[in-house]
Amino acid sequence: MAELQHRSFSLGRIAALTGNTFTELVRLKVFYFLLIFALLLIGNSLFMARLSFQQEFQVLKDVSLGAMSIFTSLLAIVATAQLLPRDLEDRTIYTILAKPVPRYEYLIGKLAGVLLLLGLSILAMSALFLALLFVREQMLMSETLRETAGLRPEQVQAAIRSLEESAFNANLLPGIVIIYLKAALLAALTLFISTFASSNIFTIVVMVFIYFIGHLQATAREYWLQEHGGGWLAKTFLALVALAFPDLQLFNLVDDIVAGTAIPPGLFAQTAVLGCVYTSVYLFFAWVSFHGKAL
Amino acid sequence: MTEPAVTVQNLTKVFPIPFRRTKLVAVRGLNLEVAPGQVYGLLGPNGSGKSTTLKIILGLVTASAGTTKIFGRDSREVGSREAVGFLPENPYFYKYLTGAETLRFYGKLCGLRGKKLQARTDELLALVSLEEASDRRLGGYSKGMLQRIGLAQALIQEPKLVVLDEPTAGVDPAGSREIRDLILDLKRRGITVLLSSHLLAQVQEICDRVGILANGVLVREGRVEDLLAIENQTELILENATPEVLGQISALLDQTKTRLVEQRRPQTTLEGLFLEATKTSPAPRDS
Ligand SMILES: Nc1ncnc2c1ncn2[C@@H]1O[C@H](COP(=O)(O)OP(=O)(O)OP(=O)(O)O)[C@@H](O)[C@H]1O
Ligand SMILES: [Mg+2]
Repeated sequence: MAELQHRSFSLGRIAALTGNTFTELVRLKVFYFLLIFALLLIGNSLFMARLSFQQEFQVLKDVSLGAMSIFTSLLAIVATAQLLPRDLEDRTIYTILAKPVPRYEYLIGKLAGVLLLLGLSILAMSALFLALLFVREQMLMSETLRETAGLRPEQVQAAIRSLEESAFNANLLPGIVIIYLKAALLAALTLFISTFASSNIFTIVVMVFIYFIGHLQATAREYWLQEHGGGWLAKTFLALVALAFPDLQLFNLVDDIVAGTAIPPGLFAQTAVLGCVYTSVYLFFAWVSFHGKAL
Repeated sequence: MTEPAVTVQNLTKVFPIPFRRTKLVAVRGLNLEVAPGQVYGLLGPNGSGKSTTLKIILGLVTASAGTTKIFGRDSREVGSREAVGFLPENPYFYKYLTGAETLRFYGKLCGLRGKKLQARTDELLALVSLEEASDRRLGGYSKGMLQRIGLAQALIQEPKLVVLDEPTAGVDPAGSREIRDLILDLKRRGITVLLSSHLLAQVQEICDRVGILANGVLVREGRVEDLLAIENQTELILENATPEVLGQISALLDQTKTRLVEQRRPQTTLEGLFLEATKTSPAPRDS
């Protein structure tokens, strides 16, 4: 009998699983949260009439990037938490794994579907945010030109340059990439937890907990090292804590961006690599926990 | 010798019961073989370990002891499922997908693409008579329709082995008859079918071989005719038999005009056998 050749890794199968996960999330209408984001930005700009333009742009960036960060993180957690439990409960997982689909492909497909959704969401939010920034810049520009009508050309130029500088800066894009990577690592960690969690409420609660600890732990660590010194025991312990609770504060570059200080390329690269490593490690943990699981 | 489609050797599955010291033995020392092209029925009362056995064969649950193989390949290898279709009991699919999308999704998982996938999808939708409903989401499908889309999904890559866990559960008599005809059609095309069922009359009609499980132990196994034959009895069917003839029948059989129409082993029903076989069986628990 002719032996059927089975490919142990197939991009076609992963693409099918990714597409299916993405369709599931889209048809569950998770994109509605983008409306909330839009309302938030528009509502916000209504209250900024009295601020100077420097302040206005700062607030706009602060609110937009902050909201993008929270929304993508939340979306990553909530969207991922229910993927495995739902498949297990509905037993759709039987029909999938009874096909020649290795379990790691199943996990990769699920995560990739979430990452695709997160990517499109953050693109949409960025587009909205940058469009608003651009529109406000143009409005303020014509206002400035009117106000400076009687002044000398150098003064007009200076006013316009200062306006342009406070609107856009080159840090916005790396900042948005880092926000995406933070959401990606949260999604991978959520996937890992959902492989052994008893319910998706459990997963979400644990993840919210991790989210807060992750933001606070840098401060806690400094305090702890001051108190206890940095022996190898302490360092091992802190490394373990850092694995369970990723240092999310590292991914928080919003303050720098708003203040307009440049993000050094080295720091950006380091943070980006860290994000990818965390994501891969959590995906690997998810596989370790899931590959022998009785369904 | 041809390779069996399914081999189960010394299969035992023990489920730990949380917070108790006892364990539940769902399957105990099971040995089975399904020859290629056969329709094999796994019978047994609720909780006797049928679904567990099928899930182990498909690599969805790991065995506590023993091995299972599909066409000679260990169930733990993902590649062993290349040519297998599975319909779980009470199947439930992604309810946000339409019927056609569901089949395309499973087809892609089996490596089908493009025109071939489209052709196969259309063919199967027609086979299970769901063309009308193919663009509706499964959330609005009835139980019988879900069962039929499940069957279509199992057949998507033209598997050589089809495993069906209670294929007619919750399906009306007409639908259940269609499924029966479909299984017979698979058999005609040389596809091996392993199914579990409670519908004994139907199993009797379509299965070549059956195994009866009770509390995880295989209590009877064999060809359906053999199992149903009662060894020490003979059944006579007489034509034109008068009471006198009946009175002297054994002596006069050769000398009278009575014609012996048929002489055979009388049959019990599978239901009778089933109830009798599963009545006395070992206790399910081990300490
Ligand atoms: N995941 C599990 N954990 C613990 N026990 C289980 C598990 N799955 C099955 N069992 C037990 O194993 C035994 C066999 O179950 P199984 O589902 O195989 O029965 P079945 O023959 O398919 O029954 P039915 O006809 O009702 O479908 C049952 O006692 C069941 O409670
Ligand atoms: Mg069952």
